[in-house]
Amino acid sequence: MHDFTIPVGPQHSSMKEPMCLRVKLDGNTITDAWMRLGYVHRGLEKILENKTVIKALYIAEHTCGICSFTHSLCFIRAVEGMLNINAPKKVNVLRVITAELERVHSHLLWFGFAMHEIGFDTLFQYAMRERESILEVFERITGNRVHHSFNKIGSVRYDLTSGDKIFILEKIKEVENKLPLYFSTVTKNKVIHARLISVGIINQFEAKKFGLVGPFARGSGVKIDVRKDDPYAAYKEADFELVTEKGGDAFARLIVRLREIEESIKIVKQMIKALGDEPIPKPLPSISLPNAEGYGRVEAPRGENFHFYRIENSLVTRGKIKTPTFINISVIPHLLKGKTIGDIPVILSSLDPCFGCMERIIVVKNGKEEVLKEDEFRYKYC
Amino acid sequence: MRNMIKKSPWISIFNASSCNGCDLEVLALLTPKYDIERFGCVWKSSPRNADILIVTGPTNGQTKNRLKKIYSQMAPAKKVIALGTCGITGCVFRDYYNTRQKVDEVVPVDIYVPGCPPRPEAIINAVVKLLKKL
Ligand code: SF4
Repeated sequence: MHDFTIPVGPQHSSMKEPMCLRVKLDGNTITDAWMRLGYVHRGLEKILENKTVIKALYIAEHTCGICSFTHSLCFIRAVEGMLNINAPKKVNVLRVITAELERVHSHLLWFGFAMHEIGFDTLFQYAMRERESILEVFERITGNRVHHSFNKIGSVRYDLTSGDKIFILEKIKEVENKLPLYFSTVTKNKVIHARLISVGIINQFEAKKFGLVGPFARGSGVKIDVRKDDPYAAYKEADFELVTEKGGDAFARLIVRLREIEESIKIVKQMIKALGDEPIPKPLPSISLPNAEGYGRVEAPRGENFHFYRIENSLVTRGKIKTPTFINISVIPHLLKGKTIGDIPVILSSLDPCFGCMERIIVVKNGKEEVLKEDEFRYKYC
Repeated sequence: MRNMIKKSPWISIFNASSCNGCDLEVLALLTPKYDIERFGCVWKSSPRNADILIVTGPTNGQTKNRLKKIYSQMAPAKKVIALGTCGITGCVFRDYYNTRQKVDEVVPVDIYVPGCPPRPEAIINAVVKLLKKL
């Protein structure tokens, strides 16, 4: 039998975003796989250069639309560390509430999308309906549905107004009430089991070897979570469980994410109780920064997010953003080998890839940079 | 409304290096709250079958030519929506080394929807306006 190499993507139905995957096939079995990225590369780190800190905050936030708050929180953590600012407790509590709501929305989005991949469109619609209630909360407390622009240096943009607390509690109750249904469906449904159990297995040793992060690593039993390892904002006061599962397959990752939604809802409730009545401080009008370097790390919905900044003459002269999805995507070729074509969408979506975040890199082959014209490049690599 | 829905166009989305935010809002159109099927629109992943192409994000070195290719693959009587400030002016990614032309300099655009990202209602409004034009 001949070996076939077929391209999957960059425009493919199982991916919302462009990525080119090439798989070598023997019959229906994948024998090798390569990846090619760069369709969403915009040069974000370059854009960050020579910007004032206030401008850079908004640009850092535009790295990704799904976890935009996490990116701004990471930026804030780096800059506040450089300036030795300790934000007041209320500000930190508000940040945790928004970050956890973002985790709920991101996991629900992922859950719906994973169910869509295996053809379970009913659950997709349900999950998206629940996600809308979280977006309504965002719109009410931050003013925006997707890019919140909520963080300010030393403060946040808005305080909660009267009635907001009750509104948040009502909306997360709606999500909480639906969770048992999801749990019972995914644990009982035979079709879901057939598609997810024992698909894309990665054991604990391999997960550590590849340096995986986030729910993906936790699905393989690795205890890794920045919220626990290096608590920031108000996470020290939060009481929550670090969710891990043993399975290491797509199903374990699904359960980890669903259980994390529960934990996040728990954190939001605790934080709302801890909210004081004092007003939040006014954001600093203009800041002159010392020449310094600093970093921030936070737990994004998909794993550890890391930002590094160097500041000279109050301008950002170097920014480095390391996102969790870029680390996690590196195992795709490893996971796909020996699987069938039908498993590609399931495995891909169980990783929860987010290309907006990921593509800020230029690939240098074998340590050498090659300068090619666009056509030559296409001829050689596409 | 019934008079208006004489056509039921299929919609496809092309991500020309957007940050995801716009794509999320397009995804929200499929959900029960906004439900774009009310207007007879169905989601299609292949642009070859689609009548309306939604382009999000500024074009970059790789997606510029692909956008042209995809546009030429669509059947005639096609319409293009440039979604989000990125596709219209470049937003924060304007004029940097890997962002290329705006969407309307690459393919003809029929409707612009500004916003970062635009609200789903705005996208529905744009689609409805296109429906009248078709
Ligand atoms: S307009 Fe805004 S939300 Fe849309 S792709 Fe551009 S930066 Fe993202």
